[in-house]
Amino acid sequence: MAAKRTPVVSLQPLLLGLGFALLVVISAATVYLVDRAADDLQRLTQTLRVEDQLSNVLLDVRRAESSQRGYLFTNNQDYLKEFYEAEPQARQLLAELRALTKDNPARQAMLDEATKLIDAKFKEMSATVVLSQQGRRDEARNLVLTGAGRTIADQLRKMIDGAISDEAHLAATRRDQSRQTNRMLLYVTLAGAAVIVIIGILSIVLVQRNMREREATQKEIESTNANLERIVEYRTADLTEANEEIQRFAYIVSHDLRSPLVNIMGFTSELEALRKDIFEQIGKLSAQIAALDAQAAAATAEGQIDQLGEEFDEAIRFIKTSISNMDRLINAVLRLSREGRRQFEPQQVDMDGLLRGIVETVTHRAVELGARIDIGHLPDVESDRLAMEQIFANLVDNALKYGRTGEPLHIEISGRATGAQVVYDVKDNGRGIAPADHARVFELFRRSGAQDRPGEGIGLAHVRALVRRLGGTMGLASQLGQGSTFTVTLPRRWTGGNWRMG
Amino acid sequence: MNSRMSEQPVQIVMIEDDEGHARLIEKNIRRAGVTNPVTPFGNGTDALKFLFGPDGTGIANKNKPLLVLLDLNLPDMTGVDILNKIKTNDHLKRVPVVVLTTTDDAVEIQRCYDLGCNVYITKPVNYDSFANAIRQLGLFFSVIQVPSPT
Repeated sequence: MAAKRTPVVSLQPLLLGLGFALLVVISAATVYLVDRAADDLQRLTQTLRVEDQLSNVLLDVRRAESSQRGYLFTNNQDYLKEFYEAEPQARQLLAELRALTKDNPARQAMLDEATKLIDAKFKEMSATVVLSQQGRRDEARNLVLTGAGRTIADQLRKMIDGAISDEAHLAATRRDQSRQTNRMLLYVTLAGAAVIVIIGILSIVLVQRNMREREATQKEIESTNANLERIVEYRTADLTEANEEIQRFAYIVSHDLRSPLVNIMGFTSELEALRKDIFEQIGKLSAQIAALDAQAAAATAEGQIDQLGEEFDEAIRFIKTSISNMDRLINAVLRLSREGRRQFEPQQVDMDGLLRGIVETVTHRAVELGARIDIGHLPDVESDRLAMEQIFANLVDNALKYGRTGEPLHIEISGRATGAQVVYDVKDNGRGIAPADHARVFELFRRSGAQDRPGEGIGLAHVRALVRRLGGTMGLASQLGQGSTFTVTLPRRWTGGNWRMG
Repeated sequence: MNSRMSEQPVQIVMIEDDEGHARLIEKNIRRAGVTNPVTPFGNGTDALKFLFGPDGTGIANKNKPLLVLLDLNLPDMTGVDILNKIKTNDHLKRVPVVVLTTTDDAVEIQRCYDLGCNVYITKPVNYDSFANAIRQLGLFFSVIQVPSPT
């Protein structure tokens, strides 16, 4: 069971953690790619602008050239207006281009070259315009005719065209790059979506599996509980059987011990009867001897015979006393075993009435002893009436039996209900029991203190056995010479289903 | 239990495994003045063989005046079985059965009477009581009417 569950428990957070880590990575990648796409776009735009401005530079030079030509041809000052505008415009564009291509050293170098060419071109054009304004139009025309300006313009055009083509190439590369970045962004986003879906599915699967396993575990626990109940039932049945066997054993043993006792007692009595006959015979014989022999000798013989008789009687007396004792013990065991086999009949027991009844039966003894017996308010209990009677009669009897000389005996019976239990105390100010004997007094045939009262030592054993069979416990608090308190704790409601055995 | 009731004297069949008990019982019966023959059996098998005859039907003892003294604790079977067999046999069911045993269990006593036992006596350990009980039994024997053979 445990081996099956453990991997899931550790795998689940691991998988989920992995999924979330993946999501974080994908998010970071997305942020990076979005940033890069923006960057790419900006660079592409920049390249396109460079391309544009380069054409504009060329356009400005062309405009300046055509307005120069127009002026030289027509000598109309109006043409010059555009010529003068073109130069600063071209220079401004150049400055702009420099700024735009800061990161491109080749382009900067090319711009340096272009600036020189533009300088030269404008210088040449300005020279022609100045000559023409001074009225030296032929000189100006000759200067144009040298073709130096055209060469410069051609060079410039070629250079700028080359640059434009370069930039166009660059733009294409950057466009590709941008497209690639965008595609990657798409992939990453899709991957993220996929991961989310996978994590979702995984979570659902894991949760379902968890639930299934929990259900399985629940079922297992339920079946284990059912098993446990069965086991308890079996055990209880076993115990009940064992207990019954012990009871039967005690009964049979005590019963069978009686048979030989009947014989021992019977033949001892027969011997006693025989003794009378034998000693009578001996008496007669010694009388006859006395008639024949001296008087003194006969007297001695008679004394001896009497002594023999006494010894014989003593032996017989000891045997008979022992047999009686043994018979009492066997009867006690028999009674205990018989009690142990009795079926309880649970009923509501009026404890006040029960105790009053018990006290009434001992009133005579109590008066003789000068004892006072007080009964407090006692809670009722659902239990076996006869057993309760035996328990408390025994305890009251014990309290009366073991008083203290020189101290008027006072017995107090009190009770209280605590939740599902009732507790009864039988307290006396009698001779008490030494702590060492607290366990012993509940054992069969065991007694404590001075053995000056009749008893077999079965009362308390019987009481404790009964209390236990009723589902309760027996307690004792006592100090030697200061009295004892016997406490009986019982379930308030009958719980003895398990205790009912034959 | 004398010849006035029947031509033959009543035979006492004592089924008792304890020899000492058997001896004490016989002694005390005799002390009570009972002179009838006592046939002792130490186990149930021999007693049944005698009571029910060689064919096991009991016909052999059909017309004999018998009285059974029965102990319940026997080595080979319980006295209750013997009691049951006697009381359910057509030829023997009128034979008086005195259960004389150490068992004083109320349930057992009841069972014996239910099965048809005529008298149930518990053997007391106290010998005076024991001897007294047996003597009383002897007196009882002298007035008991045993069905006479037809």
